[in-house]
Amino acid sequence: MDFIQEGFRQAVTLLINLDPATYSAINTTLRASGLAMAASLVLGIPLGYLLGYFDFRLKKQLRIIVDTLLSLPTVFIGLVIYALLTRNGPFGEMGLIFSIPGIAIGQTILALPIVIALTATAVEAADRNLRITLMSLGANRRQIAASTLWEVRLGIFAAAVTATGRVLTEVGISLMVGGNIKWHTRTITTAIALETSKGEFGMGIALGLVLLLIALVVNISLAGLRRRI
Amino acid sequence: MYLYQIRDVDHFYGDKQVLSIEDLAIPSASITGLIGPNGSGKSTLLKLLGFLEAPTYGTILFQGRKAAPFSKVIRSRVTLLIQEPYLMRRSVFDNVAYGLKIRGDNRETRSRVAKVLEQVGLEPESFARRKWTALSGGEAQRVALAARLILKPNVLLLDEPTASVDAHSARLIRKASLKARDEWGTTLVVATHDWQWLYETCDSILHLLQGRVFKKGLGCAVYGPWRIGQMDMLQKELEDGQVLLAPKPEEGKRMAVLDPSSVQITLPGMALVQGNCKTLNGFVARLFLERNGATVQTAIKVAELIITLRMERHKVEALRLCPGKEVNVSYDPQEIEWF
Repeated sequence: MDFIQEGFRQAVTLLINLDPATYSAINTTLRASGLAMAASLVLGIPLGYLLGYFDFRLKKQLRIIVDTLLSLPTVFIGLVIYALLTRNGPFGEMGLIFSIPGIAIGQTILALPIVIALTATAVEAADRNLRITLMSLGANRRQIAASTLWEVRLGIFAAAVTATGRVLTEVGISLMVGGNIKWHTRTITTAIALETSKGEFGMGIALGLVLLLIALVVNISLAGLRRRI
Repeated sequence: MYLYQIRDVDHFYGDKQVLSIEDLAIPSASITGLIGPNGSGKSTLLKLLGFLEAPTYGTILFQGRKAAPFSKVIRSRVTLLIQEPYLMRRSVFDNVAYGLKIRGDNRETRSRVAKVLEQVGLEPESFARRKWTALSGGEAQRVALAARLILKPNVLLLDEPTASVDAHSARLIRKASLKARDEWGTTLVVATHDWQWLYETCDSILHLLQGRVFKKGLGCAVYGPWRIGQMDMLQKELEDGQVLLAPKPEEGKRMAVLDPSSVQITLPGMALVQGNCKTLNGFVARLFLERNGATVQTAIKVAELIITLRMERHKVEALRLCPGKEVNVSYDPQEIEWF
């Protein structure tokens, strides 16, 4: 059990001593997750609105597909993205394999169904009188969409928090698409996997605690933002 | 000039027909009351008049032109206040100013919001910054009304505006709505069971039943259950035990309407005018001198029924009618119509 205590001690040491390898992994994690979250929110919120607001043929079937995608295994996404981005793959020439944008693409696919499904649920749960009210006050279709999304902003916020948690902590995509290259694509989660495989449990726990700390800081910031809106 | 002209409108929700109106016109700057039981199509008619939905079949002309949801002709000019108002998750000020903001009208927003809040009886200093959650039901309804009045609409459609608010709020809502008509010529269409709205302020009243306009005017609708009584007549036992008689209806007709213009008001002890008439006992619930000064809308309460008729002013004075005075209502059962 000593390695747990050791892990706590090392976590503090890594952060206080500004360990370059740890900060490189934190930087890579935040950059990949940030890109993925930006892309998944930009794409996911409008798609979630369309799915939640409008009634159309095959809506139920589409909803089932989106809900199923919530369970996508990260290693499977990693495998598919790897196959697409590898040098011999259809998008190999873009040079995205073993890069942070490559990891971000995989993480976007992971986060997108979460943002779409939870946004659609929030929009569906909006008061049925909201649309009548907005139309009665002279809103056009674009204004109705914007105002509806603003009304359900707490639900969208929950979607963003959930997706951020999933993206920050995934390992399969980062490992397969990023390649766990030190100083380049090594994220905190891939570093934990590596340290654990080397038998360095203390270091693994230390990095895990650092990741938890990052998640705490991100969520405190988001909670502050939530109070303001 | 008619503001609305409705022609051959049939409206469906799925397979169910909810409204069928062959021909209906609503004049500008008028006040039209809609009355009918739940599910009679009042709210649907208001949604069609508000162009929130397009009729499944038929046309609705607005100022002589075809209009549809999101048409420029009606945006910000026709507005509907629903029974359970939805206030957006923002301050009272932002709720009231929303309509101005989305049409890019930023002129003197602060003073205009203050003015309409005052118009609905809410102090701007105390209410403008309040959250949507810090309002009572009546206050929320008045904020919702203020959000519509700030648009100075051509048409204000009100769906049961006073049904779930206190008497004070109801009075302020009525007052503010009528002021809109008087100041800006706003046309009002009100679905309500509030007889003060209907009989004191409406220029015309439309009775709806099962999606059809079946009576225009001051008819007193009588709902079942009916029993077969003497002489092959139907009889409706009123809450106080009195009995209203009516002829048997034709197949498919379900609602009896007593035409108030066919009834006679007498004082107890006075001789009946006609031998065939039946008499009910009631009392004067309210008197309202109409704008012409010559006629008085007189509401007589007979058990659960309110019979509102237009009487000559001199006759009201001759009978010395006043609220609470006991009267006899004589009616000819054969004059009761079925719809």
